[in-house]
Amino acid sequence: MIYIISPEFTPIIDMLEKYLIGKRETIALSLATFFAGGHLLLEDIPGVGKTTLAKHLSQVLGLDFGRIQFTSDMLPSDILGINYYNQKDGAFVFRKGPIFSSFLLADEINRSMPKTQSALLQAMEEGVVTIDAVAYILPKPFFVIGTQNPHEEVGTFPLPNSQLDRFMCSFGIGYPDKSSERDILLGKKIDTKTQIMFSPAQIEALMHKASEVKLSKVLLDFLQEIIAFTRESGKFEYGLSTRGALSLVAMVKSWAMLQGRDYAIPDDVQMVTPFVCAHRLVFREGTTSTKRIDVEIFTHIHPDT
Amino acid sequence: MRFSLPSLPTKLDDLVLLDLAYIVVLLPLILMLKVPMILFSIIVLSLLYFKRTPAGNGLILFVFILGVLSVYLSMYGAFSFRGLSRLKLFLELLVYVLLVVVAMQRLTRKINFYLLISPFLFLALSLFFYHSIVMLTYVIFEVFFLLWMILTHRMQSDLVESFRSAMVMFMYSLPWVVVLFIFFPRISFEHANYGFKGETVQRMGHDGTMYLDNKALLVPSNRIVMEVGFEKQVPPSHYLYFRGSILYIDKKDHWEPIPPFVKRKNHVSYKKDGIKIAYKVTLYPTQKRWIYLLDIPQSPVKESVLDRDLISTVKHFIKEPIHYTARSTLNSKFYDKVDRYTLKVSSRFDPKQNPKTYEEALKIKNLYVSKKERAKAIVTFFHTKSLTYTLKPEPLDINHTTDSFLFDKKRGYCVHFASSFTTMARMAGIPARIVTGYKGDSSNALNNYLAVKEKDAHAWVELYMNEHWVRYETTSTASHIEINTVGSENEQTNSPTQSPLAKKINLYLMYAKYQVETWILYYSNIRQKQLLQYAKNNPRFIFIFVISLIALLIITFLIITYLKRPRYSSEALSILQPLLRSLKKKGFVRKKDESLHQYFMRYIEDNQEKKDLRIHIKEIDKIYELIVYRNLYTKELVQRLKKLIKEFHKI
Repeated sequence: MIYIISPEFTPIIDMLEKYLIGKRETIALSLATFFAGGHLLLEDIPGVGKTTLAKHLSQVLGLDFGRIQFTSDMLPSDILGINYYNQKDGAFVFRKGPIFSSFLLADEINRSMPKTQSALLQAMEEGVVTIDAVAYILPKPFFVIGTQNPHEEVGTFPLPNSQLDRFMCSFGIGYPDKSSERDILLGKKIDTKTQIMFSPAQIEALMHKASEVKLSKVLLDFLQEIIAFTRESGKFEYGLSTRGALSLVAMVKSWAMLQGRDYAIPDDVQMVTPFVCAHRLVFREGTTSTKRIDVEIFTHIHPDT
Repeated sequence: MRFSLPSLPTKLDDLVLLDLAYIVVLLPLILMLKVPMILFSIIVLSLLYFKRTPAGNGLILFVFILGVLSVYLSMYGAFSFRGLSRLKLFLELLVYVLLVVVAMQRLTRKINFYLLISPFLFLALSLFFYHSIVMLTYVIFEVFFLLWMILTHRMQSDLVESFRSAMVMFMYSLPWVVVLFIFFPRISFEHANYGFKGETVQRMGHDGTMYLDNKALLVPSNRIVMEVGFEKQVPPSHYLYFRGSILYIDKKDHWEPIPPFVKRKNHVSYKKDGIKIAYKVTLYPTQKRWIYLLDIPQSPVKESVLDRDLISTVKHFIKEPIHYTARSTLNSKFYDKVDRYTLKVSSRFDPKQNPKTYEEALKIKNLYVSKKERAKAIVTFFHTKSLTYTLKPEPLDINHTTDSFLFDKKRGYCVHFASSFTTMARMAGIPARIVTGYKGDSSNALNNYLAVKEKDAHAWVELYMNEHWVRYETTSTASHIEINTVGSENEQTNSPTQSPLAKKINLYLMYAKYQVETWILYYSNIRQKQLLQYAKNNPRFIFIFVISLIALLIITFLIITYLKRPRYSSEALSILQPLLRSLKKKGFVRKKDESLHQYFMRYIEDNQEKKDLRIHIKEIDKIYELIVYRNLYTKELVQRLKKLIKEFHKI
C-alpha cells in the first residue's frame, strides 16, 4: 500500500523509528489509533519492541506514562487504586492506581483474571473509575496500549470478544527486515534524546481535526459494503458490530488526517480495515489473520467501480 | 390496532415468492371457478391468514373433505364418466383437484417439489380455457413473472436485482421463441383432442340443419371460417349473405333440407340481375361439404356442384383449406320458376302444432289478397309482439316452438326468428324457406378484406312471391337487442358520434386484432404450410423475413447490453471511462482490488520518464478525488476533468 505521511507527522515518525528500526507503518498506525481516540492492542511474541514502542510514543506525545504488568494474582485495586486509612489525619485517603495516567501500557493483559481485566476495560470504555461510590474521572487524553502474547496459552485468560471490541485496532509488530536487523545488531548509537513533539493543546486540536475528516457518499457506500460483507457473506462467525463499524470510520478518518487530507479515500479504508477487523472477526474455517481478512474482504469488495 | 405499514423486506421468503406466483397464475382461473370452489378458496385463504403456524393433520383432513365436497358441488350435474369424456369438463376437474391438493400442501407451510411445479400446471391448464389476445399478453407476463420468481429464489437476492436478470434471460429467449413459434411442427385441432369428444364442433357455425331445442347451444366462436378478398371495397353488410343450405322441412325441434334422394330438376333457373362482383375465398377446413357463395352465384366454382337452390357443394368433406374465385350478382330478390315439388314442400305446415300462430296467420290471410301485403302484415305482427334478440334465450316448448316463441318466451336469435317467420308465412299462404349460412360482418372487414367467423353463422328467410324469391332479414323484426350479445353488430359499435380519426384508429386496431388472431392465436399447421408456400413463391418474403429476424436479434442484443450496462458509483467515474479504456488497451490493466488512486500511482511509477504524462495523470487523479471524495462537485472541475481526458489522447 502506497501512502505518503504528511510533513506534519514525519518528524515524530522519524524520531520513533530510531528506537523501532524499520517499523514506520506500525508507528504510523499507532499514531492514527491515538488520534482516533481509541485504544490499541498489540499482539505479538515478547521481545519485538511492544514496550519500546509504547514508552517512546508516550514520551514523544508528552503524556505521563503508566505501566501495569498483568499477573494472575492481580486484583482490580492494583490497577484502579485504593482508599487507605491515614492514621495521622484520621480519614480515608484515596491513592490513585496506575490507571490514572494519560498513557497506559497494560502489558500481557491476558495474564490476569477476568475480574481485573474487566476493571481495566470498563475504565477504557467509560473514561471514569468508580471506587467506593466515588467517581474519579480519568485524564484526557486517555490512551491504553494492551499487549498480549497470542502463542502462550498456559495460565492465561483470553479476553472475551465483548472486551476485545473495546480496542479500536490490533496488530503485531513482527520481526524486522534484514537491513533493519543488521542496524539493530550493530547497535547504532542514538545521538538525540526523545523530545516532546506536541503540546497538549496541539494533541487536542489534532484529535478534533481527525474527527472532522469528510466522508463522501461514495466512500460511505464502500464502507457499508465492507460492513455488510462481514455480516452477510457467511465467511465469518459473526459480522462487524456497530461499535466495530464506528471504530472503522474513526480509524479511516484519522489515517486520512495523517496523510494531510481532510477527506478520506478508499486507500485509507483498505489500509486500516484489516487492523480494525483482525480481533473482531473470526473466520468460520481456518485461522484468522490481518492478511487473510485483507485478502478475503478486498477480493470481493472493490473500490471505484 | 397497529397501523404501522410493514416495510417491504429486501429478501423475500420462498413461500411468499410462491404465493406471488399463485396470485398471478390463478387470476385468470378465478373467472372459471364455480361458486363452491370460490368459497373453498376463500376459506383456505382465511385459514392461511389466521393460522400462521403449520397446519396439523386434523385441519388438513378438514380441508380435504371441504375440497372434495366443493369439487363435487362444482361438477354437480356433469358428474358422470360420459361427461368427463368432454375435454373441457375433464380439464375443469383437473383444475379443481389441483387447487385442493395445493391448498392442502400450502397449509402445511412446507415447500415440496409438487408445490413448486403447481404454478406451471395452473398456467398450462388456464391455456385450455382462454384463447384471446388479452390472455396471450397475460401469458407472456405470466411466463416472465414465473421466471422472475424462480430467479429470485435461486439467486437468493432481492426482487430488483433478480428482475434485471430475469429481463436479460427473457430477452435472450425472445429470438428463439419467435423462430420456434414459426417453424415448430404443429398438429391440427382435430388431432389435438386426444380421444376426447369434440367441443360441440357440429353445433358451431353453419351445419346442414337448424335446431330449435335447448341443445342449440350457441357458442360465439371467433374461429375464422373463411377469408374473402373482394376486388374493390367490401360491399355493404346487407349484401354479405353467404348461402350454406336451404331448409324446407319442419321437424318440430329442427328444420331439414329436402333429402338428396329426391330428384328435382337440377338446373339453375335463376335470372341474374344486379351488381356483379368477383371475390376470392380461402375456406378453412370445416369437415363439411359446403362451398359458401354470395347470392346469386353466376357459375359453379372449381369441382363443386351448384344445385337448383343455388347451393354449392363438393363431393368430399373439406379437410384442407381451399381457395376459390367466385362471381356473384348481388340482389336480394331473384326470379325462379320453381317446380311443383319444391312449391309443395315450401308451403307445408301443421296447423295443430302452432294453433295461436295459425289463428293470427288466418286473420292476415283473409285480410289481404296479395302476398306482398301479407308478408308486410306478418312483419308488422312480429313488430307488435316486441321480441328480443338475444344469444342467451330460454328454451322453447319443443312441441309448439313458434307459439312458444311468439306468445310466451319472446326471446331468441336468428334461428328462432327465421323458424317462426317461415311457419307463419306458410300459414298465411306464402311459400317460404329458411336459408342458413354466414352473414358477413363489416366489423371484420378492412378495405377489400373480410373475415367470416364461426359466430357469423346466420339464418334468414326467403318468401316466394310473384315467381321471385325475396329475402327477409327476420331478426330485424326484433324490438329489443341485448347489446352484450351482439358485439358484432357494426352499426352499434361504430356510433356516428365518433370522429373520423377515432374511427380510423378503431379500424386499424381491429385489423391488428384480426392479424394477431389469425397469425398468432390460431396459427396452425395450415398457416405453416401457407407461409411456406408463400415463401416459395416470393423470394422477397424470405429476404424480408431474414432481415427482420436479424433486426430482432440486434434489438434484443441492444436491450441486453442496455440491461447489463455497467453502473458506476459516481458520475466522475463514468467520465473517466474513456481514459481507463485506453489505458487498458495499452496493456495497463487495473487490478480488481486496486482503487483508482493506486492504479494511477502505479501507472506513474511505470512511466517515470514521461514527465508530461505523470503531471497529467496526477491532475486527473487529484480532480477525481476532489469530486468524488471531497464532495467538490463543481462545473469547473468536471469541465477540467473532461478536458484533461480529451488531451490525454494527444500526449
